[in-house]
Amino acid sequence: MSELIAQEALPGLVAKWLAQGKRVAGPSVVKPGYCLYVELKSSAQLALEGFIRPRNSIKEFVFPHHEAICRYHFSGHTVETEDCDPPQVDQVIVGARPCDAAALPILDHLFTWDYEDKFYTERRKATTVVTLACQAHDDACFCTSLDLGPAAEQGSDVLLLAVPGGYEVRCLTDKGRALFAGETRTVEQTAVVPPGPPVMVAPGTIMAFLQARYDDPMWADLALRCLGCGACAYTCPTCHCFDIVDEGTAAGGCRVKNWDCCQFAMFTQHASGHNPRSGQSQRQRQRIQHKFRIYPEKFGVMLCTGCGNCARNCPVGLGVLSTLKETAGSAPVEVGV
Amino acid sequence: MNNVYKPDLMEVLEVHQHTPDVKSVKIKFQDPALAESFAFRVGQFGMFSVFGAGESTFNICSSSNWKGFLEFCFRKTGKVTESLWQTGEGDTIGFRGPYGNSYPMEEWEGKNLIFIGGGIAMPPIRCAVWYALENRAKYGNITVLYGARTVKDLVYPDELDQWAEQERVRVIRCVDPGGETPEWKGEIGLIPHVLERAEVSAENSVALVIGPPIMIKFTLPVLSTMGLASADVYTSLENRMKCGIGKCGRCNCGPVYVCKDGPVFSFEQLSRLPVDY
Repeated sequence: MSELIAQEALPGLVAKWLAQGKRVAGPSVVKPGYCLYVELKSSAQLALEGFIRPRNSIKEFVFPHHEAICRYHFSGHTVETEDCDPPQVDQVIVGARPCDAAALPILDHLFTWDYEDKFYTERRKATTVVTLACQAHDDACFCTSLDLGPAAEQGSDVLLLAVPGGYEVRCLTDKGRALFAGETRTVEQTAVVPPGPPVMVAPGTIMAFLQARYDDPMWADLALRCLGCGACAYTCPTCHCFDIVDEGTAAGGCRVKNWDCCQFAMFTQHASGHNPRSGQSQRQRQRIQHKFRIYPEKFGVMLCTGCGNCARNCPVGLGVLSTLKETAGSAPVEVGV
Repeated sequence: MNNVYKPDLMEVLEVHQHTPDVKSVKIKFQDPALAESFAFRVGQFGMFSVFGAGESTFNICSSSNWKGFLEFCFRKTGKVTESLWQTGEGDTIGFRGPYGNSYPMEEWEGKNLIFIGGGIAMPPIRCAVWYALENRAKYGNITVLYGARTVKDLVYPDELDQWAEQERVRVIRCVDPGGETPEWKGEIGLIPHVLERAEVSAENSVALVIGPPIMIKFTLPVLSTMGLASADVYTSLENRMKCGIGKCGRCNCGPVYVCKDGPVFSFEQLSRLPVDY
């Protein structure tokens, strides 16, 4: 027994959410062969099949690329500041991949520990995630190595699983149940969850590698290829480093949070010119270290969901999976090219 | 909900120019309630901002015993500090903080204190020196070794004179060879060499060493030869920060967030971390 929504009914439901004034985001083919999560203006834009996963992640709907955090106005020698609030609008992310949804509970730790970042938490509270279980994977996928999988439920409010003629609907939270109430019918069939990629690496071993061989020449070898473009971090569901800058005129302006990336040299450069991570090899190591050592030690979870976007979007064929394989002592593996 | 990134507005009370490129600024909260309730511990830092230019991280260099205002000191080196340089009495700037851990002043009670600072590192030492002097009975001998490139690069030279007049305080000033003037009465030489010559006792002592990485690198072996254990030698890291509250991800040094777990570490603690600072 399971709850089912017919394939043709789903676009109607998306249209209904839009009509209710909700902000709806989901995968959309923005040009041939290229799929991104975008804010949907109509249900026709939604694409649920024909690709492994979008090239970006859903983090931008809870942690935008660019966001005003405070406004300021000048008046003579005095300054007035004004608080900013994230938009108070309910949003639904439909067709999220499990490896994207799983990033949200991972990021919750960071944005709520000690100091709460309301820009993240208020968006997060207003967001309902409707995840679609994966039917296929590619060579870059390694979710199963992170204890996730094609039907992982972490971070999802609803999990949809493809069945002939529609989707099995598994409501996992009250928010999810509210969204699908009265929209499904009970049927006999249940979905078969396809196997995900085989388990390829044990990310826990990287901790020992970093402790024992922190200055391993492998990092320098990797860095020779790295362009330092930051595509890995920007398309990663869990990378969250940001910059804070002022943007304004002589009359006033905004203090904003912008996405930043640990692969850029300026990221850690001191005002004196001294740079603790002056070389690309140190920056490559830092990204891996942040994901598999710093974050687990701090929050008990790894900062990676095995989505493989780092490899898919890397212009020179690097990625977390191939790096983990190298640290595990196995031969270098070409990923996602 | 509280916006953790929104700075409080501060009125600039005084600006004092110490060197050709270093100024200190005295500020107070515009909001009287905040001014009344604000408390911090010496060694903590804040995010100071000039609206339109951005935020920078500085140590709060006044003593935590001083009420009604706080002070910070900066060198003119970038966009924010260029704007701060233009700031004068009566202007409004932003402040977030206090952030980070602090000097373990309670643990240091009953000990002799050795403060070693180079250049712009005087301000983060100054707050601890004043704190110790204001709680004089709790601390033993105090040695302050402060060096700068030239005589005109010394920060807070008048306060060095005030400290030198106190009981059980020894102040050693030095400038790099060539940085002296005909009137210079202090030492000439690099800090590690001056420390070697100074014959400071390491008995029952802790040291706070802050300065450029090259100064610290050559000062640590001298302290070790003197007999100080790495657990008794402290510093304050200066990793670049944006948020100051453990979110923005750039001050990581191995498994620690310098903004949250630091900036104050003993060298025994640092010996277990990668040299990402």
